Amino acid sequence: MALPLSYNWRNLFVRKTTTLLTCLVIATVVGVFTWLVGFAGALNRSLSYANDAHKLIVLKQGATSETNSAILPEDYNKLSQVQDVAVNPKTGEPLRSPEMIVQVSLPRRRDNGTTFANVAVRGVTDAAFGVHRNVKLLGKGFSSGSMEVIVGEQAAKQFGGVQIGDTINLGYSGNRGYKVVGYFSANGGPMETEIWGPLTTLMNSYNRNMYSSVNVLLNDKADPDKVAKFVQGPSVDLNAQTEPAYWYDQSKNIRIYLGIVGGLVSIMCVAAIFAIANTMYATVAGRTREFAMLRTIGFSKNQILLSVVIEAVFLALLGGAMGCIACEAWLVLAGNTKDMFGATTFTTMAFEIKLTPYMVVGALLLVAGVAVLGALPPAVRASRVHVIDALREP
Amino acid sequence: MHLRLIYLYRNLTRNKQRTLLTCAAVALPMVIYVLSTAVVSGVDAFLDNSARQLRLAVTHKASIINMLPEGYALKIKSLDPTGERLRAACGMRWIGGKMQNVTQPLSTVAVDAEEFIKAFDDFKLTETEKAAWLRDHQAIIVGRGTAAIFGWKVGDRISIRSSVPPYTSLEFHIVSTAEHAQDANTNWCHRSYYEEDLKKNIPEATQGMVSFFFVKCGSKADLDFFRVEIDKLFARTIDETKTQDEKAFMNEFITQQFDLPRNLTILSIVTVFVAVMAATNTMSMNFRDRFNEYATLKALGFGGGYVFTLIQTESLGLCLLGGIFGALMPYVAFMHTPLGRVPVPVIQHLEIRPIVCLHAIAIAAVIGLIAAVWPSVLALRLKVVAALRNLE
Repeated sequence: MALPLSYNWRNLFVRKTTTLLTCLVIATVVGVFTWLVGFAGALNRSLSYANDAHKLIVLKQGATSETNSAILPEDYNKLSQVQDVAVNPKTGEPLRSPEMIVQVSLPRRRDNGTTFANVAVRGVTDAAFGVHRNVKLLGKGFSSGSMEVIVGEQAAKQFGGVQIGDTINLGYSGNRGYKVVGYFSANGGPMETEIWGPLTTLMNSYNRNMYSSVNVLLNDKADPDKVAKFVQGPSVDLNAQTEPAYWYDQSKNIRIYLGIVGGLVSIMCVAAIFAIANTMYATVAGRTREFAMLRTIGFSKNQILLSVVIEAVFLALLGGAMGCIACEAWLVLAGNTKDMFGATTFTTMAFEIKLTPYMVVGALLLVAGVAVLGALPPAVRASRVHVIDALREP
Repeated sequence: MHLRLIYLYRNLTRNKQRTLLTCAAVALPMVIYVLSTAVVSGVDAFLDNSARQLRLAVTHKASIINMLPEGYALKIKSLDPTGERLRAACGMRWIGGKMQNVTQPLSTVAVDAEEFIKAFDDFKLTETEKAAWLRDHQAIIVGRGTAAIFGWKVGDRISIRSSVPPYTSLEFHIVSTAEHAQDANTNWCHRSYYEEDLKKNIPEATQGMVSFFFVKCGSKADLDFFRVEIDKLFARTIDETKTQDEKAFMNEFITQQFDLPRNLTILSIVTVFVAVMAATNTMSMNFRDRFNEYATLKALGFGGGYVFTLIQTESLGLCLLGGIFGALMPYVAFMHTPLGRVPVPVIQHLEIRPIVCLHAIAIAAVIGLIAAVWPSVLALRLKVVAALRNLE
C-alpha cells in the first residue's frame, strides 16, 4: 500500500509561508510561460490556417513578398501554361487569382487610435473566393466594379474606421472613398487582417497596370513542388512558393524574437527548479524522524521517495494553477489583441492570444516535470534515512 | 564585529545546499535581468542616436508604401532658402535586395547622393570615401553587419537584385562599410542609378518617386518647427505628407515587430519578483530552523537589534553572492567569448555595459533586504520567555 495522498496534501499546509512563497515563484514562472506559449500558439494558429499546401503564391522573380512584387499582365498570361490547376466546378474556369496588394494606415482600437497599423488592402476578382478556400463571406460581398470593400473579421475587431457603413480613403493619393459593405472570415488566418475590394476598381484608384501576385490553386493530384519548379523555369520565369513556405518566411523575424524571450523564460524555469529543490530539501530535513517512523512501520524506500516527489508535484500544480489564472487575468485586463509586421510584407497581421485547454495542460505538465526534477535529490535523501539513527535523534 | 563576521560565515556555510540553491535562484533571475536590460538599452541607444541626429522623416500620409514625388525635396528646402535651419532633404527609395542563392533578404535604400552626405553626417565618412561615393554612381555604402556576413570589403564589386520593379540585378562598387553608422544592416546606393535602371527596363513606369524624405535640421527648435511646417506645406495637395522625427519613425518599426523592449521590460520586472520570493522563502526557512538559536542569543543578552542585523546581513550576503554571479555570468559570456558575436535584431551585437551589471548587483542587494524583512522583524519581536518555553 502506498502512502495516502492526503498525507502529502496536508503536509503542504504545515508550513504555510514556505508553501505560499514557493507557489508564488512557480506561479510567476508558469504565468510568463503560458503567456509566451499563448503568443506563439496564436501566431502558429493564425499561420496554420494559411497552410494550404496546394495553393501557390506566384511573385515576380526577386520580390520578397506580395507587397513589393509586380506582375505584368503578360507575365500573368504565361501562367496559362501551368498544368494541374484546379477548376471552378461551376464555371469550369481555372482557379487563378490575380491580386493587387496595397496598404492603408488604420488606427488601432486598443489604444484609442494613438498608434496606427499598416493594413493590407487586396484587390481581387471572383476567382479569389475559389482559390482561398478558407475565406468565407459573412453576409454581403462587394459588387465588382463598385467602390465597395469587405473587411476581415480580425481587422474589423482591432482597427478603427472599417466597420460596416464606414468609408475608407484608399487610392494613390488616399482620396477615393470606399464603402465597407461586409465582413469575411478566413478561419483565423492572416487574411482576416485584410481588406478586400474589386481588383479593377482598386487598380484604377492606385493608378496601377500591374498585379502584385497571382494565387493559384492546384488540383489534388498535383505535386506543388513540381509545379513551383515549372513556374520558376524559363517558360514562365516567375517565383512560386506554396502558402506554408511563404508564411514561414514572413514569420521568421517574429520567431527570432520569440526565441530570445523563450531562452530567457527557460532560464526562469531553471530558477524555479532550484526554488522547488530548496523547499523540498527543507521539508525533508525537517521530517527525518517522520520518514524513519514510516520506514519502521513498513513503508519501503521507494514509497517514501515517490511520496516526496508527489508532494512536490502537488506544490507545483498549485503554483501552476495560480500562474494560469494570473495569465488569463492579465490577458483580460491588459488586452489579448496583438498585431505585428510580416518580415518583408510591411503589413500587419493581427491575432488574439487565447489560453486553450491544451496550453494549460501543457504548462501544468511542464511544471510537474520541473517539480520532479527539483524534488528528486531531496527525495533520494529522504528515502535513504538511517532508521535507527534518525529515531534516536532528539 | 569580528564575532558577527564569523557568525555570518558560519550561517552561510551551515547548510551549503540551501545557500547554493538560493544563490542560484537569485543569480538566474539576475542573468535574465542583465540580458534583457542589455537588449532594451541597446534599442534605446539606437533610438536616442536617432533623436540626436535632428532629422525628420517625411512619408505619405496614406501609408508608407504610397510614394511621394521627388520634387518635394526642393519644395521642402524652399522653406528655408538660407540652408542654415534646414540643412538637407534627402529623397530615399527602399529597394530591398537579394543576393543570388541567399534566402536572407537585404535592406538597401537608394538615396540622393549629395543630400545624403549632408543629411547623414553622423556616418563620419572620410574625405576619400565621400569623393568615391560622389564620383561613382554605382557606389554603395554597405552596413558593416551585412558586410561581415558576406565578407565584403571596400573595393569589392557586388551585385544585388532589387526587390521592387524592375527586379534586375544591379552591380555596385563598395566605397565604405559605414563604421560609424548606427544601423549596421542597411546599405545605401545612388537613387539616380536605380532610376536609370527602372527607366531602361520599364519605360512606362512612373519615374522620380521616393518612399520617404529625410530632412536634416539645424537645431532642436528647427526640428519642431519644420515638423509642422512641412505637413502644412503639402496640406490639401494630392499627396499629403506625414512628418515625424527620426526616433518616432524608427520606433514605429520596432514596436510593430514584436515590441521587444516592452516585453523584455515586463519580463525583467517579473523575474526580479521571482528572485524576491525565492530569497524570502530561504530566509523564512532559516528563521524557522534557527528559532531556538535566536531565543538563546537573546537570553544570553544580545539585543534585538543584534539579532535583527544578523539576519539582515546574512540575507544581504546571500543575495549579493547570487547577484554577483548572476551579473558576471552574462558579462563574461557575452563580452569575452564568441557568444558575443551572435547577432541580435536591431542592435546588432549585445553589449553588456558594466553599469547594467552594477544595477543587477544593487537590485540583488535590495532583494536581500526585502527577503529578510519579515524574519528579522519576527526575531526583533521575539519574546525570549515564550520562545524558550517552546523548546522541548
